[in-house]
Amino acid sequence: MTYSSLIFIYGFLPLSLLIYHASREKYRNAVLLGLSLIFCGFCGLKCLAFTVLDTAFNFLMGHIIDTHRVRKKSGTLPLVTGIAVNIAMLFVFRAADLAELREKIGLPEGVLPVGISLFTLSAVGYLIDIYSDRIRAESDPVRFGLYMLMFPRIIMGPVLRYDSFVKILSRRKCSLAETGTGMTIFVKGLAKKVLAADNLFMLYSAVRNVKSGELAAVNAWLGMIAYVLCLYFTVSGLTDMGIGLGRCFGMHFPRCFNYPLFVSKLRYFASRWHMQAVRWFRRYISSPLSAQSSVRWIKKLIFIATWGFFGFWYTFRAGGLIWGLLLGIGIVVERKFAKLKMLNATGIIVTFVFLTVSSVFLAGDNLSASIRYLGAMVGGNRMLADSLTVYLLRSYVIILLVSVYASTDLFRNMLLRSRKHKVNSVLSAATPAIVIVLLLVCTAFIAYGGASSLSPVTL
Amino acid sequence: MTRLIKNITAVAAIAVTGTLGLLTVTVPKKTYSENENRMLQGIPKFSWSALADGSYFSGLSSCFTDHFAFRHFFVSSDAKLASGMCERVVNGVYIGNTRLIDAKVSERGKSQLNAERIKRFAGNYSGAVYLAAVPTSSGVYSSMLPAYLSYNTEKQQIDRFYAEFDRSIRKIGAYSILKMQTDDYIFLRSDTKWTGYGAYCVYKTVIQKLGFLPSPYSKYTVRHVSDDYCGNLYNRTQYMKSNKDMLDIYEYSDGAEAESCTCYYNNGDSKSAELYDLSALDSGDKYDIYTCGTCPFMRIRTSLNNDRKLLVITDDMGRNFVPFLIQHYSEIGVVCPKKMTGRLEEYVNADDYEQTLILIGADSLDDEDMLSPLEEEEE
Repeated sequence: MTYSSLIFIYGFLPLSLLIYHASREKYRNAVLLGLSLIFCGFCGLKCLAFTVLDTAFNFLMGHIIDTHRVRKKSGTLPLVTGIAVNIAMLFVFRAADLAELREKIGLPEGVLPVGISLFTLSAVGYLIDIYSDRIRAESDPVRFGLYMLMFPRIIMGPVLRYDSFVKILSRRKCSLAETGTGMTIFVKGLAKKVLAADNLFMLYSAVRNVKSGELAAVNAWLGMIAYVLCLYFTVSGLTDMGIGLGRCFGMHFPRCFNYPLFVSKLRYFASRWHMQAVRWFRRYISSPLSAQSSVRWIKKLIFIATWGFFGFWYTFRAGGLIWGLLLGIGIVVERKFAKLKMLNATGIIVTFVFLTVSSVFLAGDNLSASIRYLGAMVGGNRMLADSLTVYLLRSYVIILLVSVYASTDLFRNMLLRSRKHKVNSVLSAATPAIVIVLLLVCTAFIAYGGASSLSPVTL
Repeated sequence: MTRLIKNITAVAAIAVTGTLGLLTVTVPKKTYSENENRMLQGIPKFSWSALADGSYFSGLSSCFTDHFAFRHFFVSSDAKLASGMCERVVNGVYIGNTRLIDAKVSERGKSQLNAERIKRFAGNYSGAVYLAAVPTSSGVYSSMLPAYLSYNTEKQQIDRFYAEFDRSIRKIGAYSILKMQTDDYIFLRSDTKWTGYGAYCVYKTVIQKLGFLPSPYSKYTVRHVSDDYCGNLYNRTQYMKSNKDMLDIYEYSDGAEAESCTCYYNNGDSKSAELYDLSALDSGDKYDIYTCGTCPFMRIRTSLNNDRKLLVITDDMGRNFVPFLIQHYSEIGVVCPKKMTGRLEEYVNADDYEQTLILIGADSLDDEDMLSPLEEEEE
């Protein structure tokens, strides 16, 4: 079950809101955990059993590490075991080369335990935090179960530290107004996924269907721009839906994206893209490793490698790793030229072009396909444009322009500037109608297949 | 947003999602959708194995989707919105100005399996085998599709399929015949299948290959039995910008007639039928007026006494094609492998027929199950 499916929006969501708000406050955590287990169980009892066992394993490992916290050395073994098991599980489910093993375990083809990538990060972070004495092991299995499996954040995050999650959980306020805000954010995320990302994915697929040797340069650029925008709207749409759902249950999750695509520097992109997940990599990989050395080039190497891990986590393919490494290298090189005034004027274009070109590796099935695609982008096929260019531009110009505008902060800034003006009051008053219309339009788009399942990445 | 606006948003959103969800669950379930011309997914049967592998919940999700309140309205709105907003491809169907076209790209190489089955069938068969792979509307009108969707055309697909056979199987080039007639009404506008006239155009060549002179078009009386048919491509988009289609019946007043048509079913039952079932015009699928191909095996005995017998192995393309053959054979056996649950010899002895015509649509060439009843029994 995905957030952008009919059965979730019109079945699971209203029912779970009803059950949750009707239950007494002291049982709400248990109710939410029960609902989350049903949500995870939609991909089968086998996947659910794995998810529950993995959660129990991490709960247990947390306590073992906690009991050895005074003598750190004896806590190292359970920590390493815990991390190794979590990472191994992630590889078993996500690495394409381990398909045979998945078959032997009896897992249905193409089925992943929901949110495996996210809850692996959560679990590893939790174990490291206990080991580092930042937190104590959780004694309440229900609360820990919610940290790992809570359905509003299991698909795409936000990835939270355990203490941050507990704070959010304890400060939750349930009210009709919170549900209203939550539904607004949820529908905004749904529209990002269904209206923008799915249509952009069709444009990208149209370009991908052309043989790489016959691909005109403009088409190749159009396809990759569509891919980058699609990736942004998919991932940020899903996180918005998760944040909105959390709000419906009274929880204020931090946002994960802050208009990262059209920024003047790569490092701004890095600080605004999938913020919570990037922070996790910095907190648990880059910072501890960098602290071990005072040599500048080693620190830079660690920084680049961390971005490589982040990219690899997206795809579990070499292409993702290269995308991450390129981003890391790009940021390091950019710092060298940070004082160049020229960058202020051309920064947005340079950054977006860099993101578009590097994303060729993230999108490609393999390295040779990515290199062939890059060749087409620089005119290697000796074709600038063809009849398909005209067709694609005619068909997708509106969606491309709207998507580019929506991925900038221009609209938000306009709203902020017009706070005291009438236009803001009018827009605010129209919010309920806008939310319902958007919800129904998205429903129309997913009504035939029942869900919006197109996605440039699987997390 | 003020608190009041937030409250209104919450109430409106919960009311809409709750009401539509409640209507979906409570409104009595239909088993068949007339708008989409297909059986709808029912509530899946509970089993622990289905629960374990996730198929129970995916079945439940499909059931919810199929019975979603106002589904027809939402699906048809999808086509209107999508075609206005971006590309005119909705649920795998290209919405052209004059017709709907299937935009699914065929998979290369999968037709080899069916070619092998035909070769083995021909090897064990005592008579002559004729093969006609017929393009669908997306093959004949591929030039209307955007370039990226028409790169692997049905023409190439049929050519690759034909290249699998040597001269012992006589191949009939239906593609070029139809391609020359694209200005005529040879394909339904809302369906992948051909019209009666399209079938007649190919019949003229096929029957000559089979050793007969074709019946002239002027001898037929064409009856338009329906002018509001919505085909399988409409069912996927619920979008009708182009006109609805006509269904025709071709009657040869001075010619041979079908004296008896008997349908044989998978459970061993047989039932007498008519060549055309006009009562189907009042049903969900008006195309069922063409009864050939609605059951696994149909035996047609005609008023001719020339002792010529033809076995036709076909899919939906044969449904309005077979009636043209009645003027030439005393008996025609119509095999629809897609409808069979057993092997061919459980229904008919192919060697009782001196000729076999395999007439299948290009969209069936990649279907791995399509000709599986032709497989020999494993020893």
